[in-house]
Amino acid sequence: MTTPAPAAARTYDLSFARWVAENVNGGDKLSLCMQCGACSGSCPIGVQMDYGPRKLFMMIRAGMKEEVLSANTQWNCTSCYRCVVRCPRGVPVTYILQDLAAKSVEFGYVEGPQENKNFAQSFWWSTKAFGRTDERLMTTRYFFSLGLGEGFRRVTANLRIALGMVRAGRMHLGLPHRIKGRKDLRAILAKAREIEARHGSAGE
Amino acid sequence: MSDKKTMTYYPGCSSQGAGRHLDQSLRAVMPEVGVALDDIEDWNCCGASVGNIGGGQLPNLALTGRNLAKAQQKGSQDVITGCAACYLNTHSGNEKIKADVKKRAAINEALDAGGLSYTAELKVRHACEVLVNEVGLEAIEKRVANPLTGLKVAGYVGCQTVRPFAGTAAGGDYDAYDDPTFLDDFTRACGAEAVPFAHKTACCGGSVAVMSPERTLHLMKAILEEASKAGADVISTPCPLCQTNVEMYQPAINAKFGANYNIPVVFYSQLMAVAFGMDGVKDAALNRNTIRSQKLEAMAKGGGRK
Repeated sequence: MTTPAPAAARTYDLSFARWVAENVNGGDKLSLCMQCGACSGSCPIGVQMDYGPRKLFMMIRAGMKEEVLSANTQWNCTSCYRCVVRCPRGVPVTYILQDLAAKSVEFGYVEGPQENKNFAQSFWWSTKAFGRTDERLMTTRYFFSLGLGEGFRRVTANLRIALGMVRAGRMHLGLPHRIKGRKDLRAILAKAREIEARHGSAGE
Repeated sequence: MSDKKTMTYYPGCSSQGAGRHLDQSLRAVMPEVGVALDDIEDWNCCGASVGNIGGGQLPNLALTGRNLAKAQQKGSQDVITGCAACYLNTHSGNEKIKADVKKRAAINEALDAGGLSYTAELKVRHACEVLVNEVGLEAIEKRVANPLTGLKVAGYVGCQTVRPFAGTAAGGDYDAYDDPTFLDDFTRACGAEAVPFAHKTACCGGSVAVMSPERTLHLMKAILEEASKAGADVISTPCPLCQTNVEMYQPAINAKFGANYNIPVVFYSQLMAVAFGMDGVKDAALNRNTIRSQKLEAMAKGGGRK
């Protein structure tokens, strides 16, 4: 993918870098970036990204809000943390990408079914409902959240894996493993969400 | 380590699913080297890599808050976990809560809604760091009753077991990020041979591999390719997601790349259980690998059965 070139028609949001610094987890460290590219060079699937982290960070500085929040960069982060340990300036790259992903969803830049967003939402559904990740229900819910046909296609494609897991005793049949304190956990999560809405996530 | 020590154990969700054999073998092995495991009561999910996207930053941190509040009820002993993602989230969350007064207040305000509180005094440790720093290689070697002579092992560390905390003071400063040696040390302590393996800290794709294998199959293929070239009988890993990904996607990798991989992927703790002369099924859980290692099972007490 080529970098969008500056164009008179394009709008630049000159307050975007400041907004990222104040609202994105780790964004306050972004001003330390010296554009060396150690992050992009270390990334296991950086070549599959619209822009590597280095370029994305420069785009944030340039105020290219639309392009940044609709990029697939943040969705291809595998959370391997190689960029974090290698960054000579101590920029928490992975954390920034993870929160940019959350912000992309929050501000409506991800429309319709999208793998990472739907996966994260199915994951959180299981955590909230049971207090634990039920790998069977979470993945099944995720598959069908992508559409009925896609759901069946993915369930079929993964059937052999699932059967192997059942046979090895690594996927159980029956009710999900649930915590006893589900009600308390949900009260804690609701309160945390309320506090976050009050203060904002990065400033918290 | 001279005395027996008790640590508060956080098994994590995979211990009841795809990573059951890690949990089972850790529970077998750790007390043998002097670390008794006492479970956190009613522990919950750590949030893994996507909790903050699905639930938000503070709710995600509150998951760790609840676990540590529950752990605190066990006393002041260290918290230990064998899962890479559980460790990453719980440790980093704990350090965040410790360092940031405002965050600590916010978490406690949230915890209060569930009748809990956390004073942020606990230490969260990875099982591998405990084995290196607390138990020590000598004690592991000393416990070996059934050396795995002739078994060739590719030590695949993965990401989150070492990154980003293995080289930090709070993370126990136990090894390097790019070229850690602890896993090969464990292999050799068990009497097996650690084959050279440059991909030791390459990424398998993590949760992206689960949601979207097509995007990451080539990463796992590179790992299998090198292990195969090195003549490894098994790949050994500490991470439950690495273990499952690299094991379960081999048929898909073979189909996509025209390869023929069938390499067992085991946990270091399974190797230890066998090397300690413990039961191949009850302790080493060798029957829980979907690609079984006949060579390893033949070395285990009672074999792998079934």
